[in-house]
Amino acid sequence: MRDKLDIEATSRTPAVVFDFPNNHLKIAGESYPEDVTEFYRPVFDALDGYLGRLGEGNCRFDFELIYLNSSSAKAVMMLMDKLEDAAKKGAAVEVYWFYDKEDDTMQELGEEFGEDLETAEFHLEKMPG
Amino acid sequence: MLAGQLMDLRSMLHTQGIIFAYSGYVTEPVLSGVGEALKQKLTIDDADTKTLRSVFAIFVEQMQNIIRYSAEKAHQPMPPPTSDAGALKEIRYGILTIGREGDDYVVCAGNLVRQADVERLRERLSRIKNMSKEELKALYKEQLRADPEQGSKGAGLGFMEIARRATRPIDFDFADIDGEYSFFALKATI
Repeated sequence: MRDKLDIEATSRTPAVVFDFPNNHLKIAGESYPEDVTEFYRPVFDALDGYLGRLGEGNCRFDFELIYLNSSSAKAVMMLMDKLEDAAKKGAAVEVYWFYDKEDDTMQELGEEFGEDLETAEFHLEKMPG
Repeated sequence: MLAGQLMDLRSMLHTQGIIFAYSGYVTEPVLSGVGEALKQKLTIDDADTKTLRSVFAIFVEQMQNIIRYSAEKAHQPMPPPTSDAGALKEIRYGILTIGREGDDYVVCAGNLVRQADVERLRERLSRIKNMSKEELKALYKEQLRADPEQGSKGAGLGFMEIARRATRPIDFDFADIDGEYSFFALKATI
């Protein structure tokens, strides 16, 4: 069982830090990969494995995305769906969406994703600084 | 002669307010490279964060539309050895310009499309063009949940992303080339 997923950011892909022992997961940066499926596959796999054994535990997922292209938006929706499913199965899931206060498009996108979370707890916050 | 010809081409672009122009086969590394230069230029222009992100976002969607959907393409004539299967890649041709119109930024992209796809594209773009921001938001959410339509290689959200990020209605046009192909142009203003 892996206890950490740590993917470094590149100019086109976000940093992904899943700290499973501390139940703290984070994705941060820009997302417009050459191949969205290839980039997100290990991310989905790691998340599926973790959420599958979370049971009624708690976890926090931070989205700190500066920019994402339209194909990445679909991948983010799938991450949200997985978190919502885990919450419905009894986990205490908190989702934080941090947006740059200078870019209301990312704020709106966060609101839209948040609307679809019924059981997971959603927080919309400005990025610090 | 040589300098004169190239200078004429450059002047023509300059007269139209064009700052960046790329005409040729587009690949993902081209997108990365031109994108970096574009970000730098917008930073030098002191564009505000929202404008910078919107121009860049529209540029990415327009470039990826060419890479994925242009009907003008070149590929290796022979299949590559199986060990190098990833190398068999088509490259697709298109033109993209970024310029200024007054205080606005303008991102235009053009590429060939098959005549058979023109009506479907025209219908989709007309619908998006006439939508309010609220209607676009609703359609975007609906499409995000839907399965991509047949032939789509992305999430089917690109045009909507462009329309949402643009500050004026998108503009588009088709010019017949022959019985098989039409030239498709899409303009977004930020």
